[in-house]
Amino acid sequence: MKNAKRFIILILLCILSLTAAVGIGSIAIDPGDTLKVIAGKLFHIRFSNPVDDTIASILLKTRIPRALLAFVSGAGLAVSGVMMQSVLQNPLASSFTLGVSSGAALGASFVIVLNITFLGFLTLPVFGLTAGIITVFLSLGVAVKVDKGLHNNSIILTGMAFSMFANAMITILMSVSKENMQRLVFWQMGSFSMRTPRDFWMILPFVLIGTIIAMICSRQMDIMTLGDEQAQTSGVDVQKMKWLLLSLGAVLTGAIVSVAGVIGFVDLFTPHVARRLFGAAHKYVIPASALLGGLFMVICDLLARTVVSPLEIPVGAITAVVGAPFFIYLFLNKRERKVK
Amino acid sequence: MIHAENIRAGYGDVEILHGVSFSLKSNENISIIGPNGCGKTTLLRTLAGTLPFSGKILLDGQNVKNFKKKVLAGKVSMLSQSTQIYFNYTVYDTVMMGRYIHEKDGIFRKVSSEDKSMVQKAMEATGVDQIYNREINALSGGQLQRVLLAKVIAQDPDIILLDEPTNHLDLSYQVELIRFLKKWSKRTEKSVIGVLHDMNLAMMLTDRVLLMNHGRIEADGSCRDIFGSELLNSVYKMNVSAYMVDSLEKWKNIARR
Repeated sequence: MKNAKRFIILILLCILSLTAAVGIGSIAIDPGDTLKVIAGKLFHIRFSNPVDDTIASILLKTRIPRALLAFVSGAGLAVSGVMMQSVLQNPLASSFTLGVSSGAALGASFVIVLNITFLGFLTLPVFGLTAGIITVFLSLGVAVKVDKGLHNNSIILTGMAFSMFANAMITILMSVSKENMQRLVFWQMGSFSMRTPRDFWMILPFVLIGTIIAMICSRQMDIMTLGDEQAQTSGVDVQKMKWLLLSLGAVLTGAIVSVAGVIGFVDLFTPHVARRLFGAAHKYVIPASALLGGLFMVICDLLARTVVSPLEIPVGAITAVVGAPFFIYLFLNKRERKVK
Repeated sequence: MIHAENIRAGYGDVEILHGVSFSLKSNENISIIGPNGCGKTTLLRTLAGTLPFSGKILLDGQNVKNFKKKVLAGKVSMLSQSTQIYFNYTVYDTVMMGRYIHEKDGIFRKVSSEDKSMVQKAMEATGVDQIYNREINALSGGQLQRVLLAKVIAQDPDIILLDEPTNHLDLSYQVELIRFLKKWSKRTEKSVIGVLHDMNLAMMLTDRVLLMNHGRIEADGSCRDIFGSELLNSVYKMNVSAYMVDSLEKWKNIARR
């Protein structure tokens, strides 16, 4: 099957998953009603038999923003994962490798424990994002001090050290602030509950701009997977690309983690599925990973809020529970892809 | 074509090259030989622009430090020692990466007919055209080496630097590769600088040899002069020519049977 057909199928699956996510819940909502509410909101169309106000309110204030937030978060994390894996030439690299997620989580934990509110609703995202970016720059700064060539092993090792340090700090914060422990634990596992349309609009530009920049750098990312030396002698400015793409990955992940909490596995897992389905070329892998990440996250969030309803499971737990067996299955069934 | 003067380079605070100078004319090939750790690979990396250095390297009369990465890659490219690749590019896609410096920028760029033709020729020359749709992470070390060489040839630089290019190759491919490179440089009037441990292959590829030891060039001359010199024996701490002659006698005995 050609890649264009695969993309069409993937887009249809995304639409289907979003429709299901919006319709399924404690109150089942007909897809027709959803369409009416969206058409009414976007194009101010009035229908002869309008949707009940309560249903419209649930759709506009809760279900649609939550599904869209899950979709863009999954897409952004997946694109960030592609960048980390390609730049570090390591199929096991992810935002966790550089300590972005842990750094962002630490920043947000400080906000929760110290009850910082001076930036209003922006306090948590701003602190989370800033802490995530600072962690990456500290980690890259130390890596460059140790190894001027900024080789991947140095980046991964310093990133892991910073990640472990940030996690240890979070554990200390939890143990000294028992009243906030439950909130911190739940937040560390990631969730889209109680999020507002504002959260969606806040991270949408990060994901869109990040994905576009990644697409522009797709050819360089292809060549960088052959190794630093091969890439440099092929004409790629490896050091410049590393700083650009790792910083971009950090901003993308930091923005998402600061809104939705730490959600693992999506960034590690979806690029692999994309490469299996679309081949390794980044001009396909980046958009395919974005769609697959969004699709996967929407399904996981749907499961998170419906499996033991009315209770809700953290979505980070679902992504790992669903993703890990599928990831292993993929590797057991590794097949050669024939292309023209 | 290349004029290197008093090159000092290394890794971190450790200096490996202690003032290396040499020149290379257009359409000339050089083999670099020397014991392990003498700085052969470091010299290649410096010439390829992947290591910082002090001193002066002129390419066609211009200082390499002023070149942009893409411009430098159009003049010099390097086939490194074995690389571990984890991503599932096809052989064709990998060789096409060699055309990066010739491609137009942009997400939706189209592959030109010249790019396609150069890639096809490079794959045929290195014998990987029959496996063009195989994924490179499923290839043997020798096959991968030939794919990466095809990528370097498709890049079409003025000088190809080869760091132990016969690693992972069986005997027939080693000989084939060296013969191909010699023909390629003659036909295209381009140059090859190769680090080779096998002196027979070095002799096959080039007429000129740089003998390195302890980060310096100990001798620069013809194969005849260098391979017959006492200096070679002292650098390798063995009687190299006696070993070669002894091996040859054994082969003669086998061939006589």
